[in-house]
Amino acid sequence: MNRVVNVARMQLINKWTYLGIPAIILASAFLITYAIWALVPSGGGAMYSGAAQSVMWYFLALGIMSMTQTFPFSQAMSVSRRTFYIGTLGLFAVVALAISVLYYVLGLIEKATGGWGVNGQLYALGWLADQPALVQIYFYFIAMVALFMIGFWFATIYKRWQATGMLVVWIAVAVVLLGLVALATWQGLWPEVGAWFVAQTPLSVSGWATVFCAALACGSYLTLRRATP
Amino acid sequence: MTGTATPEVISVRNVSKKYKDSLALDNVDLTLEGGKIYGLLGRNGAGKTTLMSVLTAQGFQTSGEVRVFGHRPYESDRVLGRICFIRESQKYPDDFTPAQAFKAASMFFAGWDQAFADRMVEEFQLPAKRRIKKLSRGQLSAVGVIIGLASRAEITFFDEPYLGLDAVARQIFYDRLVQDFAEHPRTIVLSSHLIDEVANLLEHVILIDKGRILVDEDAESIRGSAVTVVGPAALVGEFTAGRSVLHRETFASLASVTIDARLSARERAEAGELGLELAPVTLQQLIVRKTMAATGTDLSVGERDSDAELEATK
Repeated sequence: MNRVVNVARMQLINKWTYLGIPAIILASAFLITYAIWALVPSGGGAMYSGAAQSVMWYFLALGIMSMTQTFPFSQAMSVSRRTFYIGTLGLFAVVALAISVLYYVLGLIEKATGGWGVNGQLYALGWLADQPALVQIYFYFIAMVALFMIGFWFATIYKRWQATGMLVVWIAVAVVLLGLVALATWQGLWPEVGAWFVAQTPLSVSGWATVFCAALACGSYLTLRRATP
Repeated sequence: MTGTATPEVISVRNVSKKYKDSLALDNVDLTLEGGKIYGLLGRNGAGKTTLMSVLTAQGFQTSGEVRVFGHRPYESDRVLGRICFIRESQKYPDDFTPAQAFKAASMFFAGWDQAFADRMVEEFQLPAKRRIKKLSRGQLSAVGVIIGLASRAEITFFDEPYLGLDAVARQIFYDRLVQDFAEHPRTIVLSSHLIDEVANLLEHVILIDKGRILVDEDAESIRGSAVTVVGPAALVGEFTAGRSVLHRETFASLASVTIDARLSARERAEAGELGLELAPVTLQQLIVRKTMAATGTDLSVGERDSDAELEATK
């Protein structure tokens, strides 16, 4: 247990990776968006921005980095693969949860200040903002975890089977997606598919994402068990 | 020879490692006792790093059994926590500085000695606050050496730790290794092909070639296990007849023949009477000759027929 905590602490030794850079991305995304809003006259209508996503994409990169750089180092630190896995995912979950709560709070501020005084929407996105607090927080959280897991899993595949593994996975993903599209087209299911997507709520999307994350988490662990630094 | 050896800490049974088209480890059997400095010698690609990876569960064997402290090392934090293996091509997190890598090591190695690490940073003139990815090859090696030594793990593996280190830095490493080993006895496995440099440190030599163990012997007994006979070709030929020849060189009427044999006092006297000179063989010469003899590629000989003779002596 102690070593699991140490795996997390080890990754916080360099404050930039998990704390500094996300903070800079958050701050600059907000400031740049705000500057744009201030410069562009809106004519009173609401202005939207997807800039809040930016820090989430950073977590995709973090997932890749923790596998390509931190994993080989953890092996030199005589840490078992299981301990590395639990410590890394644990640390990531804590950081993702903190950012999710922060997003929720920023959303509240956004609403209270009338969209930062310029009727902008950055954090309190319409589709999500009227949901209960827990649903909002969980939605952000699981979205970040999903991105991290995608990065982490792809990097594990790469670590274990190098370029060949990557190629096989990308081809497999493409074949599966194409297959689904073909099936929907052939069976004339597009109206149903569209209806299904429209019917999704933040809670149900979070649910699907949870299933997806659980599958990736299992897949990553099984792949990592035989990965070499 | 130390008398301080403790029971076995590593046992390897029938371990093989196959890559797609090559056999990196070929049915390796080894037992390592605690409290010694082992030299893991062999050419590039002989299987040294593969063997150390398998012993530390960083890599996987295709078949066979590895026990460290009596347990399988794979996924065992209890066993792994007592060993340290910094690879020759060790990767560090991109933004880490040496100081941060040492801080991480202090979390995972119970015996970590920060003061010792700090002293070595000074001695190696390592810029501890510079990012690791900006370090030179030698400085990178120094980071690995410092982690390996200051971790004081019960079994420490050094994988060609001298790469890029200048002569002074290498001497510092050897000195600190010997000194710290004396104060904190443990098991050291040092892989190297700078055999002359490390010869005096080693208590036990394991020679590996093409994945097979050629030599697994006490360093002292190896040093006396071969001798070079120098003198008139005819007399040398007579004296060494029927012996296992590791190497033969001729210059005009003189011959220099290295034989894989321990001479008795009577044989030494006999050589003296014949006017033959007996020269000791350095560990490096011996290792080179044994490796070449095993692969049948003695390229440095002056005479073509020596290959045939070499075959004949087998």
